[in-house]
Amino acid sequence: MTVLGYLANGLVFSSIIVLGSIGLSLVYSIADFANFAHGDTMTIGAYTALVTFGAVGGLGGAVLGLPYGFFLALVVGIAVAAVVAVGTEKLIYEPLDVDSIGLLITSIGIAFIYRAVIQIRFGSDFTRFGIQSLRPIETLIPYGVRVTLHDVAIVASAVVLVAGLHVLLQYTDLGRKMRAMADNPDLARVSGIRTKRVKLWTWVIGAGLAGAGGVFLGLFNQLSPRMGFNLLLIIFAAVILGGIGSVYGAMAGGFLIGMITQLTPFFSNVVEALPIGQGWLATLLENLITLEYANAIAFVIMVVVLLVRPNGIAGEGAT
Amino acid sequence: MSLLADPKAAFADLTRPERWVLGVSVAFMLFLLGALLTGALGPTYFLFLVGLAGMYALLSFGLNAQWGFTGLINFSVAAFFGIGAYGSALMTAESSPIAGGFNPLVGLVVALVVALVLALLIGIPTLRLRADYLAIASLGLAEVVRLVVLNERWLTNGSAGVRGIPSFFKGWPVLSTFPETMPGLRLVVIPGSPIILGTSFWEALLNVLLVLTFAGVTFLMLRRAHQSPWGRVLRTIRSDEDLARALGKNTYSFKMQSFILGSLIMALAGVFYTHLNLYVGPGDLDPITTFYAWVAVILGGSGSNRGALFGGIVIVTIREGTRFLNDFAIPIDPAPMRLLLIGIVIVAVMRYRPQGVLPPQRELIWPSAVDGGGTTETPDSGVREQKGGGGDE
Repeated sequence: MTVLGYLANGLVFSSIIVLGSIGLSLVYSIADFANFAHGDTMTIGAYTALVTFGAVGGLGGAVLGLPYGFFLALVVGIAVAAVVAVGTEKLIYEPLDVDSIGLLITSIGIAFIYRAVIQIRFGSDFTRFGIQSLRPIETLIPYGVRVTLHDVAIVASAVVLVAGLHVLLQYTDLGRKMRAMADNPDLARVSGIRTKRVKLWTWVIGAGLAGAGGVFLGLFNQLSPRMGFNLLLIIFAAVILGGIGSVYGAMAGGFLIGMITQLTPFFSNVVEALPIGQGWLATLLENLITLEYANAIAFVIMVVVLLVRPNGIAGEGAT
Repeated sequence: MSLLADPKAAFADLTRPERWVLGVSVAFMLFLLGALLTGALGPTYFLFLVGLAGMYALLSFGLNAQWGFTGLINFSVAAFFGIGAYGSALMTAESSPIAGGFNPLVGLVVALVVALVLALLIGIPTLRLRADYLAIASLGLAEVVRLVVLNERWLTNGSAGVRGIPSFFKGWPVLSTFPETMPGLRLVVIPGSPIILGTSFWEALLNVLLVLTFAGVTFLMLRRAHQSPWGRVLRTIRSDEDLARALGKNTYSFKMQSFILGSLIMALAGVFYTHLNLYVGPGDLDPITTFYAWVAVILGGSGSNRGALFGGIVIVTIREGTRFLNDFAIPIDPAPMRLLLIGIVIVAVMRYRPQGVLPPQRELIWPSAVDGGGTTETPDSGVREQKGGGGDE
C-alpha cells in the first residue's frame, strides 16, 4: 500500500474515533467525570442497528452501496444509544451522592452491565451487518487507495454529523448554554440556565454520536460485545490529546489518533528504510513500531500528553 | 482475645453491618460445610476455592494499600498481578522460553523485583497526575503491558501461555514430597458417599497454608503500617493532598512508596496464582482482573483490610458461583453473567453504600485510644502512654 492508501484508511478510522471522542469530551466537561461506559454506548448503537436492519431489511434503493434500511437502522441506533444514556443518567448517576471519582467507578459498573446484557443476548462471537461487502472503488486503485463506497459513506456521514454539531454549538441557544456550562457550571446556574436539562441534552448528543460511531465501527470492522470497550482507551487517548472539555480539540485529537494507529505499518516501513544502521536502536524500533503495538503507541502518546501538556494540543478548553 | 473469653459481649460490641457480615459468613460456611459433607463439593476443589479467595484477598490488600490508604486510582492491578504470575512462571516452568527450571523461591524474588521495576516505570510518570487522569493513564499502561506479554513470543510464549509450572514447594526439604507421602484417606460421613483425600488434596492443603501465610503476614504488616505515622500521612494525602503538602510532607514520595508497596503485594498474589493454577496466559492480564480487585475493595470498604478479605470471598463466590449456576440452574454463559453481577455490585455499592460494607472504623485507631472502646483489658503500653511519655516507671 502507498502512503495515500494508509492515509485514506486513517481518514475512515479517524471519522469513527472522532464521533466517539466528541461525546466523551462533552460528557467529561459538562457532567464532569470520565465516563468509562462510553465505549459500551457505542456497542449499544451498533447492536441496535444490527437488530433494526435485520427487521426492516433493505427498503428498496441504496445510497453509496448502503441500502435505505441501513440509514433507518443508523437513526434507530443513535436514538436507542441516546435513550439508554439518558435513562442511565436519570436512574443511576443523578441520584448518586458521590464525587467525580465515585461517578467514574460507577460508570465502569454501568459499562459492564451494558456489555453483559449484549453478550447474554447476542453471544460473544463476531457478527456483521447483513450487507454485502463491496470491492474497492476501481478508479482509486491505481493510486494505491483501497477504499469502498461504504468507507466513503462513513466519512461523509461523520462529516455531516460533526458539521451539525458545530452549528448546534455555535449558533443555537442550547449550544451557547452548553458552552457556558462547560466553562463554569455554577455561573451558568446562577445565570438562570437549567443545568439539569442541559446535562440531559449533553447525554443525548454525546451518546447519540457514540451510537453512530458504533454503527460505523461495525460496518468498518465487525460487531462484537467487546468492540466498544476495546476502543474506549483509544478514544480517551484522542480526548486527552485534544484537551479534555474541548469539542474541537476532541475532533483534532480523534483525527490524529485515528491516523497514527492506521499509519503504524507505514511508520514501520519508514523505520526500516531509515539509515540507523544495525544497532540495537534500529532493532528496538523495528520491533516496537508494528501493527501489534498500534494501540500501545496511542496509549503511550496519551500518557506523554498528560505529562507534558495536560490541557491537550488545543490549549485551554475552547469549547 | 475477648472473643474467646466472652463471645456474647464481643458480639454485642459489633456494629450492625459487622453483625450482618458475620451472620452471612457463618451461614455461607455452614452451607459449604454441608456441601462438603454430603460430597456435593469435592474437598480438593473446595481448597482450591479457598486458595483463590485468599489470592483475591491478597490482590485487594495490594489495591487497598494504594486506593484505600492513599487514594491512588490504580487501574493497572492486572498488570502487576500478571507480571508477578509471569515472572515466577517463566523462572520455574520447564516449558519456559527463557531460563526456567529454577527454584520457586528464585521465581518469587525475580517476580517481586520485576514488579518493583514496573511500579517505578508506571509510577514515576503517572503519580503526579490528577486522580482521574491517573485512572486513565494507568489503565492505558496496563494495556501496554498486556500487549507486550501477548506479542513478545520469544519471552512469554505469546498467546499460548506458560505451562508445566511446578508447585511452590518443589525443592523444599520435607514439603516437596509431602503430598505423595501422606496416606490417602477415606472418610465416610454419609454412608454410600465416601470422601477420598488423595495426593491432590494434600497439595491443595499446602497451597491454602501458603496463601494463608502470605495473606496473614501482609494483613498484619498493612495493619501496622496503616496505624503508623507513615500510614497517617497516607490518610492525610487521601483526604487532602494540599494539606499534607502544607505540613511539609513530600506527597509524591509518599504516594510512590504506597504505590510500590501495593504493587509488590499484587505481584505476590500473582506468584501464588501461578503455583495454584499451574498455568498462566495473557488472559490473566485482562482488565477484568483489575476490576475484580476494585469490586472487592469498594465492596469491603476502601481502606479496610477486613473488608478487602470479605470482598475477596464475594469475588470468588461470583466467579465460581456463575459456573455452578450455568451447570445446574440457568443455562446462561458464565462470562457475561459474571460481568453483569460485577457491574451490578459496583453500581449498587456506589448507590447505597459508597463507604463499603465494612468501612474502616476502629481498625484505624489503636484499641486503647478509644474511650471506653468496649474492651476492658488495658494494654501494657497504649499509644498515649508511649507518645506522652506518660507513666513514671
